[in-house]
Amino acid sequence: MDIAFRPRPAVAAIEVLDLQVRLGGNPVLQGVRLRIEAGRMVALIGPNGSGKTTLLRCLLGLHRPDSGSIHLLDEGPPTPHLLRRVGYVPQRLPLDPSFLLTVREFLAIRRPRTAGWFWRPTRFVDDQLHEAVAEMDVTRLLDRPVAGLSGGQLQRVLICSSLLNDPELLLLDEPTAGVDTPGEEDFYGLIAEVHRRRHLTVVLVSHDLSMVYRHASRVYALNGVICCEGAPEEVMNAESLRQAYGIHFTPYHHHHHHHPGGAHGA
Amino acid sequence: MELEPFMLRALLAAVLLGPLCGFIGVFVTARRMSFFSDTIAHAALAGVALGFLLGLSDPTVPMVLFSLLVAGLILWLKERTHLLNDTIMALLLSGSVALGMVILSRLKGFRGELDRYLFGDILSVGWGDVVLAAAVLVLVGSALLLRLNALSLMTAHPDLAHVAGVPVRAMNYAFVALLTLTVALSIRLLGIILVTSLVVIPPATARNLAGSLRQQILLSLLFGLAGAGGGVALSYPMDLPSGPCITLTLAVLFVASLAGIRARRSQAPSP
Repeated sequence: MDIAFRPRPAVAAIEVLDLQVRLGGNPVLQGVRLRIEAGRMVALIGPNGSGKTTLLRCLLGLHRPDSGSIHLLDEGPPTPHLLRRVGYVPQRLPLDPSFLLTVREFLAIRRPRTAGWFWRPTRFVDDQLHEAVAEMDVTRLLDRPVAGLSGGQLQRVLICSSLLNDPELLLLDEPTAGVDTPGEEDFYGLIAEVHRRRHLTVVLVSHDLSMVYRHASRVYALNGVICCEGAPEEVMNAESLRQAYGIHFTPYHHHHHHHPGGAHGA
Repeated sequence: MELEPFMLRALLAAVLLGPLCGFIGVFVTARRMSFFSDTIAHAALAGVALGFLLGLSDPTVPMVLFSLLVAGLILWLKERTHLLNDTIMALLLSGSVALGMVILSRLKGFRGELDRYLFGDILSVGWGDVVLAAAVLVLVGSALLLRLNALSLMTAHPDLAHVAGVPVRAMNYAFVALLTLTVALSIRLLGIILVTSLVVIPPATARNLAGSLRQQILLSLLFGLAGAGGGVALSYPMDLPSGPCITLTLAVLFVASLAGIRARRSQAPSP
């Protein structure tokens, strides 16, 4: 159920038409059509190799598609100007531990008022960041180096950082890849809370089907093209999704628990 | 005590370039570009040889230009081929050294010059070099300070930096150009073989003692200053080339900083 307040329900946060991308001669995206309404929290799912990452890179202006069009926030293609209204939460930071960037410094970089953090007293920076830091519950992490955070801590810091720019659209890449199972539920709760409070559009990009039931109001399944879309229940039972994930796929019907003996599905 | 003019020039160059190498080094090490810095330093040998071949008495200009050329080649090959970074750099490093040695061996009377460029020589620092060092300090230092946020963000995550509006590709090229200038001009003091030590050791020493990026940058500046200045000061009375003196001073500071890690550990509250 979509309980978010939507001020402009007809506006599309993302509109993709006939997007085609070939990588190294192989067709990766073969005419993707996608429309995500503003204000929703949705999931873009697909198995490994389905083109999720490529589509995400196109949406962020990191890869130029061979053909087709992308419209973000009803305005146009992902130019640097338009990307100011978009938040991106990557899976992890490929950061060397020899680089001592702290959470405080990492966050300060993203906000014009604290851009001069290098010359400013810590107190000033903390005052400026206080609200956003409290919202994502990362106050205790401010002095920690970003390179030393756990998966769950890093995700909270990354979301906090992207929220500093008041984005209208938030794209999360495999948000719980580095988060342990008990932490997952808290994490999605936190995103849902942010979504409710800020009325922004949230797109969870993931190969993990289990989270879809509980957290997304709409699911788009990608396998070269958008092979099915709809409410989570419909999509999870669709024949095309079974084919995309292979015939042995069985959807989870409830939130999965930690299995002490078995490996957790990836 | 009165300073000899050559000593004054060498000390001035050291206090200008030492902190600069320490500053840029924080980002060089974090971006895993230590070997890159080493490669462009070695490329300078071919530039020096070409300078002598052209009959120049001061080969600084061809040295800087050839290093820039090799830096550009590394980036170009990286974008155009599927070769690993290490492979590309090892290829250009050995290729430049070989080219330099072939040219130098054809020229009469330059074998003695070789050691100065390999290990550094305070006697070879002219007023022109001091002025260039000051100019590079102002240029590179202000560029790093003005673009500190963009540089930090692209060091943390290039794609994230792109979405935040940083022109990542252009910044990458600019960073490489500034690093090349810094390294090429520091060769007078440290020599081709050891110049990377001034870029790599100060940030590593600072890493052992600092608790934030700001502290790491400030400490790295300080260790660069102490290492370069101290090394040059030791070089003359001990009658040693300045490169090894600077590098050993930096190494002693690094070893001392290891005690700092232990002190920090014992201070940290047990979990």
